[in-house]
Amino acid sequence: MDLVVQSLVLGILLGGLYALLAAGLTLYFGVMRVVMIAHSAFLILAAYLAWWFTSTTGLDPLLSLLFTVPLFFVTGVFVQRVLIARLKPATLTMMSVLLTFAIALMIEGMLGFVFSGTQRRIQLPYSGASFEIFGARIAVVKLIAFALAAVALAALYLVLKATRFGQSLRATIQNSEAAALVGIDTKKVAGYGFGVGLATAAVGGTALALDATIYPSLHWHWIGPLMAIIVVGGLGSVPGAAAAAMVLGVSQSLLQIPMGTTWAQTIFYIVLFATLVFRPHGFFGGRLAQRF
Amino acid sequence: MSVKTHTNRSIRGWIAIMAAGGLLALAGCGIDEPSESGDGDAGADSSDGAEGEDPIQIGISLPLTGDFSEPGKGVQRGYEAWASYVNENGGLLGRDVELTILDDQSNADRVASDYEKLINQDGVDLVFGPFSTRLVVPAAQVAMDYGFLFVEPAGAAEEVFNQGFTNLFYAAPAVAQDHYNYLAEHIEAMPEGERPQTAAYAAMDDPFAQGTAYGLKEKLEAMGVETVADEVYPPNTTDFSSIAAKIEASDADIIVGGTQYQDAVNLIIALQQLGYQPDLAAFSTAPTNPEFAAAIGDKTEGILSPTGYTPESTYPTNAEFVEFFNQEHGSEPTEDEANAWTTGQVVAAAVEGVGCADPSPECQGQLIDWLRNNEVETVVGPLTWDAEGRPQGAHLVQQYVDGEITIVLPDDAKEAEFIYPKPEW
Repeated sequence: MDLVVQSLVLGILLGGLYALLAAGLTLYFGVMRVVMIAHSAFLILAAYLAWWFTSTTGLDPLLSLLFTVPLFFVTGVFVQRVLIARLKPATLTMMSVLLTFAIALMIEGMLGFVFSGTQRRIQLPYSGASFEIFGARIAVVKLIAFALAAVALAALYLVLKATRFGQSLRATIQNSEAAALVGIDTKKVAGYGFGVGLATAAVGGTALALDATIYPSLHWHWIGPLMAIIVVGGLGSVPGAAAAAMVLGVSQSLLQIPMGTTWAQTIFYIVLFATLVFRPHGFFGGRLAQRF
Repeated sequence: MSVKTHTNRSIRGWIAIMAAGGLLALAGCGIDEPSESGDGDAGADSSDGAEGEDPIQIGISLPLTGDFSEPGKGVQRGYEAWASYVNENGGLLGRDVELTILDDQSNADRVASDYEKLINQDGVDLVFGPFSTRLVVPAAQVAMDYGFLFVEPAGAAEEVFNQGFTNLFYAAPAVAQDHYNYLAEHIEAMPEGERPQTAAYAAMDDPFAQGTAYGLKEKLEAMGVETVADEVYPPNTTDFSSIAAKIEASDADIIVGGTQYQDAVNLIIALQQLGYQPDLAAFSTAPTNPEFAAAIGDKTEGILSPTGYTPESTYPTNAEFVEFFNQEHGSEPTEDEANAWTTGQVVAAAVEGVGCADPSPECQGQLIDWLRNNEVETVVGPLTWDAEGRPQGAHLVQQYVDGEITIVLPDDAKEAEFIYPKPEW
C-alpha cells in the first residue's frame, strides 16, 4: 500500500514535469503547424546553461532563469522569423521536421563541443533532501520542479486567456486567415508565439536539470514521450497536453509496480496508438490533428 | 556509455532514418580516414620490404562517433600512447609499430566490414579489438575467419566467450560475472550474524552491466542472502524514482547496481530522496568516474565499486605507463586507456615470445598458442586465460573512505579497511 501511495505521488510529480516540457511543443504546432523536433534539444541546452551557471557562479540554478528565459524568447522569435517563416506553407509541417531536426543536431553537436560528452549533474545541497507526507516521501528538488511547472503553466494560461497578445495568438491558432482579416498581424504573433514556446523550454530545462544527469544526446530520450503527450492531449491544446502529461506520468509510475520499467515505458506508445485509432484529434484539441 | 533505444514507432523511426543519413554524411567528410598512417603507406603490405625495416602495421576499428564515442576515444588514446611508447623504446622486434584506426560509428555491421578491409585490403600484420561487447563479437568473428589473433580491451560479458572463438583474449583482469568476486568472498567470510540477510538488485538491460550484478547475485543467493527486489531497466531510462520506490519498499539490507554512469547517479540520488539506508551499496562503473563525486556531493561515503585498474596500483610496468601517459596527455589514465595499453602489452609479449608479426596463418597461430600457455605481465596485473579467452583474475574492490575512492579488497592490495555497515548517506 505504501508503495502504491509513493508511486502515485512520484507519478504526479513526474506528470507535472512532463506537462511543462510538453507545453511549448503543443504551442508551436497550434500556432504554426510546426513539428519542433528541436524542442527537447533546447530543453537540454537550458539544462546545460543552468549547470554551467551554477558551476561557475555557485548560485542556485533557478537564478539562471533570469537570463535564459529572455534569451530563449528572443531566440525563438529569431528562429521563427528567419528560418521557419521561409518554409512554403503547403509543405510546412513536413519541412519543419527536417529543419528543426537539423537544429537539434546542431545544438547536440555544439553542447558536445563546448562542454564535452561528460555526463553532468548540478550538485545541490538539497538534492537528496525530502520530507514525509501521508506516508509518502517527497523530494525537495522534485517539488521545486513541480512548482516551477505549475507556475509556468499558470502564467502561460493567463497570458493566453487574459492578454491581448494571448487573444491574438488563440485567434491565430483557431483560424489564421480570419485572424488576419480582423487586423491581427499573424506573422508577428506567430513569431512571439514561437518565442513563448521556447521560453517554456528554458523553464522546463532548468526544472529538469535540478534532478537529472544531463549529456548532449539526452534529448532523443525525451522527444518521443513528449510527442506522444501532445498528440494524446490534442495538438495545439496547452491544457490538453497538461492533462495528458499528468495521466501518462501517473500511469507510467503506477504500472512500473507490476510490469517493471521496460514495459511501463510502452504506455506512452500504447496510448498514442489508441488515440490515433479511436480519437485522432486527441481528447482536448478539436480538429487540428486532421491536418497533421 | 549509455546506449539509446528508441521505441516510438512514428517519430523515432523518422529520427533514426535521418540520424543514419546524418552520420553517413559526416563519414563522407572524412572522419574515417586512418588517424595515424605515418608516412602514408598504411596500405602497403609488409612483405614487399626487407624484414626489420618496415613498420609493423596494426589494424583497429573503434567507435569514435556514436553511442560509444566517449569510451572509444579513451581506448584510442590508450592505443596511441602505447604505440608511441613502443616506438620510443626500440619498437617491436626492432620494427616500429604503426596504427591504422578506423571509425565504426558504434555500428556492429560497420565494425565487421572495417576489420574485413583492414585484413584484406590494407594487409595489416596484427589487429587489436574494438570497444564494447556488441562490437567485439562481430569483429572477433571476422578475425577468426582469417585466423588472426584477436586481443580485445572491452568485451567482458559472457556472450563474448560462449561464441566458440578460438582466437580471442580479453586484456583485463576479469570477466563481468567475476567483478565482485572479492566482495562475495568477503561477505561469505563474515560471521553468520553480521551477514546481510536480504539484497536488492537493479541492473541495466546490457550484457556487461547486468553481468556484474548477476554474478554477485548468484554467489549471494548460494550463501543464503535472499533476493527481495530485482529490477531490470532499459538503457534509455532516465527517471529512477519508481525503481527506487520499489527498492525502498523491499527494505533490503544491501543494494547492488549493475550500472553504467548516469543510471547509477540518478538511482543513488532517488534512493537518498526516499530515505533508504542500506548497509552496503555497490555499483559498477560509475563510482570510479571522476565526475561521480561531483554529481553526488558529500554523500558518497561507503559506496563500493569493482575496478579493473587504478593508476596507484603497484604492478611492475604500471609506473612507467602512468608517467608516460601523463607526459602525453597531462592526466592520469583511466580504465579504458589502461585496457587499451594492456592489449598492446599482451600482443607485444606474444610477438616477442614467438618472434614473428605477419598475417600468415602460421605466425598468427603461433601467437595464439603462445598466449594460451604463458602468463603476461601487464599494467592491470599478471594475466592468464582459459580456452575461451576469459582472464583468470578478479577486480579490485574500491570504496569511498573519507571522501576518497580507495582499494579495500582484497586484503593484500588494500589501502584502507572495508567499512560495513556503510555510514548513512
